[in-house]
Amino acid sequence: MDKLERLLNLTAALLNTDRPLTAEDLRARVGGYPDEKSSFRRTFERDKDDLRSMGVPLRVEVVPGIDPPIDGYRIDREEYAGGELHFEPDELAALNFATNLVRLDGDETALVKLGAAGGSPAKEQVGRVPFPDALATLISAAADRQAVSFIYNGAERTVEPWRLSFSRGHWYLSGWDRARAADRLYRVDRLGSDVTLAGEAVEPVGSIADPLDLRSWELGDGPAVEATVRVDPDQAAFAQHILGDVSLADDGSLTATLQVRNVEAFRSFVLSFLEHAEVIGPPQIRADFIAWLEAQT
Amino acid sequence: MNGRLTARDRLARLLSVIPWVTQQVDGARIDEIVERYAYPREQLLADLQDIVFFVGVHPFTPDCLIEIELGDDRVHIRYADWFSRPLRLTVEDQARLLTAGRSVLALTETDESDHEAASPLLRALAKLSIALGDEGSGAVDVRLGSAPGDTLGRLREAITEGRQVELEYYAYGRDELTHRRIDPGRLFSDQGNWYLSGWCHSADGERVFRVDRIKSMLVTAQSTEHTVIAGDTAFAPSGDDPRVQLRLKRDARWVIEQYPFESVDDRGDHLTVTMAVTASPWLERLLLRLGPAAELLAIDSPLDLELRRRAADRVLNRYH
Repeated sequence: MDKLERLLNLTAALLNTDRPLTAEDLRARVGGYPDEKSSFRRTFERDKDDLRSMGVPLRVEVVPGIDPPIDGYRIDREEYAGGELHFEPDELAALNFATNLVRLDGDETALVKLGAAGGSPAKEQVGRVPFPDALATLISAAADRQAVSFIYNGAERTVEPWRLSFSRGHWYLSGWDRARAADRLYRVDRLGSDVTLAGEAVEPVGSIADPLDLRSWELGDGPAVEATVRVDPDQAAFAQHILGDVSLADDGSLTATLQVRNVEAFRSFVLSFLEHAEVIGPPQIRADFIAWLEAQT
Repeated sequence: MNGRLTARDRLARLLSVIPWVTQQVDGARIDEIVERYAYPREQLLADLQDIVFFVGVHPFTPDCLIEIELGDDRVHIRYADWFSRPLRLTVEDQARLLTAGRSVLALTETDESDHEAASPLLRALAKLSIALGDEGSGAVDVRLGSAPGDTLGRLREAITEGRQVELEYYAYGRDELTHRRIDPGRLFSDQGNWYLSGWCHSADGERVFRVDRIKSMLVTAQSTEHTVIAGDTAFAPSGDDPRVQLRLKRDARWVIEQYPFESVDDRGDHLTVTMAVTASPWLERLLLRLGPAAELLAIDSPLDLELRRRAADRVLNRYH
């Protein structure tokens, strides 16, 4: 039997029952599974994974009236069909247009499910945006006011998420860090673990410095230190573009004092100008910068 | 839709196709299914005939099977009670649609001509936001790139009107300011930066420019001469570029996530990576930033292993 036929029959069997069906029940009712026990188990596990990955809400419940207790499976029809999300034809066309114009990395099944996958895009794609694994969970947690837990910089965090922002090639999570009792910003691609939900958020939704204007040297847990950098005239315009509201001196050079929470990131920023920029102060950061370079000569 | 569909892809389609067809009064046109569900025609016909025809529930007697009637250009489906409603959108599906939609909104803010198209999009996004939760509308924000002043708008105009532009452009890799005359081709965003692809008259070839490195620009009265064919990848090393081999500590892994590489040995406590060097200042910056996290193992001529020391000396000269 074809795998597709087996998966369709499995889905039908699970939708067609009010009481949970055991794996053995399903082997007998669906057909198309291998006879040998361990290869049946493997195939059945893969089928369940396939259904779940598509969003089929597969319930695992103890089958009533059997001792010792044994797990059974079923799909609740209401849960399967989901809530009241219905789109008008022009809205579907707009979503189709949007997903063709800006492509997200990864599989796109939503439009297929909505029957709006067709049509060759009139306009060519203009953008590509990454979509890391944790992002959907984080977006939905922010939307639904749920706290999340994850590892970041080697430490466990519980955060009430506010917003996910894509800026300068990276996704950032802003929110309230419970243990630190302060707002924080995290790079989503640097989360060191899966994201798990951690109950309802309690603090009000706040806002954090716009990540577009937020520079990597401001991402850190430590206290802010003021550091000053000078950029030569020939590259001052680009530094100005990154730093925003900084004016140029009469000779065309730029001097900016930055709030630094992450000294390594500040050093990397200054080094990106090679010999066209200089750390002016404070003395400690300047001395460390010189030592860093001397170690490479 | 290119390539073959997997069993899972076809299942995802059929779980929507079956309920949709059953709801049509007089069946559905095959062409319309092909179109709506991006289902290649031959595959669809084969699946309806050879698979869906046999789908049902135990004991698979005729009254327990889906009834399907396949004509030349229409299909009727009946008695598919288990599949009377399509499978829901998952949270991930919803989040992805919301993200793509909000990215496009960010575009239309600067593009008045598309404003009309934004309103069904706004309605769709409002529905998705509500489905995701009370704070759905503020949960995602996408910036496709940044560009100084009105550069993007003026480039769009120059592309539409087919006019050459003169750029004062900072070539980051080579660390120099250049002057170029360009036939602008198209604007695209990749990994959070805007790029312009175009024909460069100075280089006599197609080039890609990062918009935020344009120091100044002038739209000329001259019409463009070349049609730009490709150009939607931001970085394209050539076969002639020298290669460098680096040994990286594990916490410098971001290097291979951020830059294209040719090969990587990712076993053990270090990474060994080979990369193309389009211009030496790019490699100098990378090495000086990495410090002890990177060791220079080998490098092709005309570059040499002293490149790092010389770069460090040049920067240090400012401090002596």
